Amino acid sequence: MKRIDPKNLSAQLHYRAAGNPPSTLPESAISNCFPGLEFDFRNLWHHLFEGIELHEADNYVVGGEGELQGLVGHRLVRVAGQATMKQAIGPQMPGGRSDVLTSASNPGGAWTMEWSNSMANVLHQRAGQKVPCEFTKDKAPLPVWVSDDPENPEDPKVETEIRELTLRPIFAQSKVLQDRLAVIEERIAGAGELTESLCSPWQNDYRECACYYWAASRPDYVNVEPNEQGLSEGNMWLAVHREPKEYIPDNGRDTRLLTYEDLFRDWQGKLKFIVGGKDSD
Amino acid sequence: MSKPANPDLHLIRSEAGLHLLLPNGNRLFDLDEPTFEALEAALGTSDAGSVQRLLNDLGVDLAPLISEEPLKDPPLRALSLAVAQKCNLGCTYCYAQQGEFGGLAKNMPLATVLESVNLLFRDATPGERVNLSFLGGEPLMNRRAIHAGTALAEELSKEKRVPVTFSITTNGTLIKPEDADFFEEHGFAVTVSLDGPQPVHDLLRPTKGGRGSFDSVIANVTPLLATQRRMQVSARVTVTPHNLGLKPTLDEFVGLGFRSVGFSPLLRSPSGRDELGVPELKLMLEQMVACGEEFERCIKAGYRYPFANMVNAMREIHKGTHRPYPCGAGAGYLGVSADGELAACHRFVGDEEGAMGNVITGVNRQRQAAWLAERHVHRQEPCNRCWARYLCSGGCHHEVIRRGRPACDYIRGWLHYCLQAYGRLVVTRPEYFGVPGAVTTGTH
Repeated sequence: MKRIDPKNLSAQLHYRAAGNPPSTLPESAISNCFPGLEFDFRNLWHHLFEGIELHEADNYVVGGEGELQGLVGHRLVRVAGQATMKQAIGPQMPGGRSDVLTSASNPGGAWTMEWSNSMANVLHQRAGQKVPCEFTKDKAPLPVWVSDDPENPEDPKVETEIRELTLRPIFAQSKVLQDRLAVIEERIAGAGELTESLCSPWQNDYRECACYYWAASRPDYVNVEPNEQGLSEGNMWLAVHREPKEYIPDNGRDTRLLTYEDLFRDWQGKLKFIVGGKDSD
Repeated sequence: MSKPANPDLHLIRSEAGLHLLLPNGNRLFDLDEPTFEALEAALGTSDAGSVQRLLNDLGVDLAPLISEEPLKDPPLRALSLAVAQKCNLGCTYCYAQQGEFGGLAKNMPLATVLESVNLLFRDATPGERVNLSFLGGEPLMNRRAIHAGTALAEELSKEKRVPVTFSITTNGTLIKPEDADFFEEHGFAVTVSLDGPQPVHDLLRPTKGGRGSFDSVIANVTPLLATQRRMQVSARVTVTPHNLGLKPTLDEFVGLGFRSVGFSPLLRSPSGRDELGVPELKLMLEQMVACGEEFERCIKAGYRYPFANMVNAMREIHKGTHRPYPCGAGAGYLGVSADGELAACHRFVGDEEGAMGNVITGVNRQRQAAWLAERHVHRQEPCNRCWARYLCSGGCHHEVIRRGRPACDYIRGWLHYCLQAYGRLVVTRPEYFGVPGAVTTGTH
């Protein structure tokens, strides 16, 4: 047995398994799952099926082993009879009528569903087993739409071929307990894979997310004070000069704001610590 | 075996394995044999750092979860009203001195009942829960107060959207059939004081005229036991040197249909009469363990066995509850005397030591702060050196202030047994704790 095993709830709650860094604890994590600051959860889906490598957020095949190499560039359109994408429907323009949202680069209006949801059912019932996987017969650089039911008269009749591939379980199995462990199976994500493709918050992602995601941990309106009219006055956090005090909207071109290049080259030099909402020296 | 060797850990052997309790968070672990033996050996040495080094190595270090800071201005959550400071029984050991708390027999006036209930709801915000209990003396000697208090509480509960629960502790001699309907309607937790089978109960709980009370109590309570749905009827046994045969008592009361049966040792009586001493506490521990073993047998076999001390211990150990105070007394829970004086709890009614203001002016926050600072378990001797300090949390304030701590070995012995029993039950009956079975057939 293990040297030590937490038994009651308080022991389990505070237990830190060997090897997990502090950033894995809920209280120290930002915990957005992708692209992620601690890990990129989507990287799980690369190796969901034995023999092929999938794009983490698309049904596009990016790698294959042995005879499955031929599938690279094809799309996995159904798993166990279930489509991996949906058609996006809505107005093209504000106030317009709802229609399939097609474009030159997406003629079917197909959007691959996020894998953890679209595969939940299959994973729950058939992990570890061979499941029928339906691929486009030809390479498909652009998204392809099929329906859940190939017998449906509206199904676009894309030419496909079916391969029986083994669906890998997400969790490792304990040989002793004959039960799953709270650990990700190594063949699903090898060392380092979960921490690929992380955010670069200071150089890029804080700016990209504007004030939608990061405001809690990084104020984007700083040195704020009430003025004589009772309105607030302050600086946009990326303003090169702090006078005059005004909020400059970020259109990506305004030279009064730091550029991406500034940030990528010297974010730690250009940005200041903000303490209590104000620049600190 | 349960003696405190080190305040930072306690080692336990059970048939289910080797266990480690860390008081900081009351975290319970299983250990393998070499680790257990290394800790055991370290406890035996004079090198104070060796235990700490081993714990560090196990990666179980954690900043203290219980701070030195006393609880500050806790919101009021529960009041017990001494609606009748008088009693028709003459139990020799009664902390309330036959109901009158050393004063004159009196009833709580209706105005005081209503003021108390208003105080209970005054600062409660929607969604918070409050409890109103009726004690005495014998509370059923002032039925009007119980009815008036309950009616107002129900009204305020609806108006303020603050759910309320009711409880009453009674000697059972005055319960009438219509009381059963009233308790059922309002979902009362009814606790009946019963000290054992008839001969021993009659010896300990006679009427003031010296007659036994058992037969009338059972006759009155039987209809409640038969009809309880929303109301829950429990038996509470005060253990003295005269009723140490706990197992037959427990089985008799469980057989009668009580939803819960619990034992409390008598550690303090105003005259000193019938208090348990060290030899009696030893006997009581053996009896408690015998009851606990029966509980384990029943749970393993899939039956209910409502032995309250064990049910509570299993629940709290499983959660890892850790607290700096033994109960809510003087914090979220206060007692009210018939005169409307607030006290740290029902036992401190009329006692200057636990005075906490009154129902008109409200809680005396200064007195309360002093009480909470004083009663924090870190301030208690020898608790601050004991592994059980966040499980027992220093013991009943009233008993400790009036008598001291004669029962530490008993309490630790009981907790040690409970930890072993938990170690066994969580393996054999994980579902009792809401844990899915450890071994399932693989889904993949």
